[in-house]
Formats: sequence, structure tokens, C-alpha cells
Amino acid sequence: MKKQTYWNRVQLDRVKRVAINLFLGFHIVFMACWCLPLDSQWLTLSRNFVRPYFVWAGLFQSWNTFAPTPWSANSYLEAIVVYQDGSRQIWSFPRMEQLGLSERYFKERYRKFSENLQNDKNDALWPDVARYIARANSTAANPAKTIILIQVSSVIVPSSEGSYRPEPWDQHVLYGYGVKREDLQ
Amino acid sequence: MIMRSFTAAWNRFFFAEQSPTPIALFRIAYGTSVIATLWLLHPDWLAWYGTHAWTSLPTMQALEPGRRLNLFTVIPQSDPWINRLFWVFLVSAILLTVGFLTRINSAIVFLCLTSIQQRNLFITHGGDTFLRLAGFFLIFAPAGAALSVDRLIRIWRGKQGTFLRPRSPWAQRMIQIQLALLYFASFCWKLKGPAWLQGTALFYIYHLDGLKRFPVPAWLLHPTMLKVGSWSAIALEFSLGVLIWVKDLRYILLALGLLFHLSLEYSLNIPMFQWDILSAYILFVDPADITRAWERLRGCASGKNGKPLASVQV
Repeated sequence: MKKQTYWNRVQLDRVKRVAINLFLGFHIVFMACWCLPLDSQWLTLSRNFVRPYFVWAGLFQSWNTFAPTPWSANSYLEAIVVYQDGSRQIWSFPRMEQLGLSERYFKERYRKFSENLQNDKNDALWPDVARYIARANSTAANPAKTIILIQVSSVIVPSSEGSYRPEPWDQHVLYGYGVKREDLQ
Repeated sequence: MIMRSFTAAWNRFFFAEQSPTPIALFRIAYGTSVIATLWLLHPDWLAWYGTHAWTSLPTMQALEPGRRLNLFTVIPQSDPWINRLFWVFLVSAILLTVGFLTRINSAIVFLCLTSIQQRNLFITHGGDTFLRLAGFFLIFAPAGAALSVDRLIRIWRGKQGTFLRPRSPWAQRMIQIQLALLYFASFCWKLKGPAWLQGTALFYIYHLDGLKRFPVPAWLLHPTMLKVGSWSAIALEFSLGVLIWVKDLRYILLALGLLFHLSLEYSLNIPMFQWDILSAYILFVDPADITRAWERLRGCASGKNGKPLASVQV
């Protein structure tokens, strides 16, 4: 009886070890395939194979901060809020360079979010953002009627001797949104 | 023959038992990073994740489709419920840090962490991603085997002596591999960018107004220095991804990596990123060296006070 229990434990340990090895091998291979920026048909196939699991479990990853090309422009987002009574005001996303040290720690997510919003690939986010700005800037007496998202940017150009002189700021309309009554509830 | 030596090396690397102190120290650093992240997010919990957040849940699901572990899709969509989720997350992160019900709390922390990231992927940075990935493997690690309330309870109940039983470090190795992969992938991405190869990348980064934290001395912003800096960053990322596995180079590289991240922490405004990454450096320290450092600390303390510190092994 005692001998049988011992062998059962040995068997169980062996099965456990095989399962762990499979787990390790699978994750090492596919994590590497997922995040290394190599162009190969095999890698694309492996990413597609593992995508449902990685996306579900939260194992997706990308390590391309400031790469391959770092941002070469200073930019921020503003919104023109046009009110029902015809008046307007400029609303701006928190800008890190205008905040104090501790505030920057708390508000850094706005820099990241604003950076992502300026990418045309993420244009599906713009209506939600316009609605948020409308809610934040409306009063019952004077609700927001239109929100216009504007990207303000200034390219960073090294001078011939390598120093930096700020370039003029450009404005570019990203998106206009007509606010509906239900957006403000 | 090759296969046999590979198998032996694999088994030694993943399964040769060692002290759980490094993974326990990592658990404390990791938990602290999660708590700090939550605390910094606290004023904007509902702005980012609430029912009237900057991005709605349906928009997020449309932009990032697929089945995902995301508690926001399970709990009722109301602000009080979302607040409750954050408080559960925070309490669980505190319990994980002190090592109480470690396994359960590491699973809860991972689930909550992955949920908030899945809920809004547009505000996450690399440090968040690393916490999520490390959190996944931490669930499988004996993170509560040392320096924990769990261990004190086991000793108090007589289920464990003061001797620290060595454990198989395979989950710890996965976190180490993840960190090395992070550096190596960053290195590969940089090789694809002309600005990095030409050495002008740092010029752009250090002139981004939104990223500046403390002033950098003017001589460091000289084009030659920025070139040296850009190329050094590439070389260091390669080294921390590949050469970190060479035992003789490890501590030098860890010291250089520490210096690198602290200089970024000083100069760039990317809160928590550097600390999230640095938290995993402890996993590369030899447990014997940790014990030696601890003994030395005990020696110093007992020398000063005239009596030894607790004799329980860390």
C-alpha cells in the first residue's frame, strides 16, 4: 500500500514535470516569436496561431518605445468647445510641461493618451473623447453644441551645428463632433 | 550527446532548487510597483475606466477585438462597482506585497491588472506591460515561501521550521527571460530605425517638451554626446538581453542597467516605468550573495546594538 502510494507520487511528479516543461517551451518560443520584429512568414504564422491565447491571457507585448523612429515633433491636443448660445472656449489636455513635478506623475497617462489620439489609426477613439469633453464643459443652462479636436504641433529639426531652435506651431483639425442631448447624460 | 547536455542544462536552469529569497524580494518590489501605479491612477480611476470614461468599453472592444480576460466585461457597468473593483485590487496588491495568501493574491492582482489594461490599452506604457507579464508568471512562483506573512504563519503553526526550504525556480526564470526578451526586442526595434543607427534618436527624445523632467546639463545635449548616448543605449539593451546570462558579466551589466534606468528616471517623465523594470533586477542576483549581504547587515546591526537580529532565515 505504502509502495503504491510512493509510485503514484513518482508518476504524478513525472507528469507534472512534463506539463511544466511543455508550458515553459511553449511560452518561451511564442513570446519570442510575438515580440521580435523580424519579418518572416513562419513568425507571422506562429503569431496568428498563438494570438487568441495571448490576447485572452494578456501575454501580448511590444517593446518599440521610441523605436524604430522616435517622435520628431512636439505636439498637444486642444478642443474648441462651441456652446448652444454661440460662445466658445478652448479646452486643452493636461500638458506635462505646464504641470508641477508631482502633478506630472499623476497626469502622465494624459500624455500617453494624447499621443495615441494623434495617430489617425486610432480615429475610432475621437467620438468618445469629444463626448467626454462635451460632458466636462457643459452646464444645464449652456450645453456644448460642437466639439472640434485640434492637433497643435511643432517639428523638431536639428540645426546644421546640431543645436535646437523651436519651430513655429502648426494647427491641424483632427475631428469635429456635433453633440447630442443623450451625450450629456 | 548534444541533446543530453541540452536537457541537463535545461533541467539545471529551470529546476535546480535554490533559495526562494530572490523571488520573495521581487514579490515585494513588484507589489510596491503595483500599489504605486494604482495610487498614481487613483484621482482618475473613473475618468479612465468609469461608465463615462474617455473611452467607452464598447469602443475599446471594437478597437481591440477578441475574447479577453477582462473583469470589466463581467461586473455591472456602474461607477460604484468599478470603484469597488479598484479597492479590491489595491487591497490584494497590499496583501501580495506583505505575502499573505500569496498565491491567491498574485492571481487576483494579475487578473485586475490585465483587466485595467485591457479596458484601456491607450494609456499603458512598457512598464505596465512588464508588470502584467511578470504578474502572470508570479502566480506560479513560490513567492510567499520567504519574507512573508504566510511563512510566519506556517512557522507559528509548527508546519515549517526556521530553515528555508529551497524551491524549483522555473517561474522565476520565466520572469528573467521576459526581462531579457524585453531588452533584446527593444534592441532589434532600434536597429530598424535610421535615427538610432545615425545616433540622432536621443536628440529628438530630449527635445520632446512633454517628456522632460529635470534639466539635463547642456554638455550632455551636445550632438556628439547624444550620438554616444544613442549607440550606448543600443549596446546596453543588447547586453542586458543576451550577455546578462553570462555569469561573469552579470553584476557589471546590472550596475550599468541600474545607472541607465536611474538616468532616464531623472531626465524623462515616464512615471513608474524604470521602477517596474528595475524591480526584476533582483531576480538576477545570486541567492548566496543575498544571504551574504543579509548576514553582513545583521553583523552591522548586531555590532551596533550588541544583540543579533532575528535568527529566522530570510
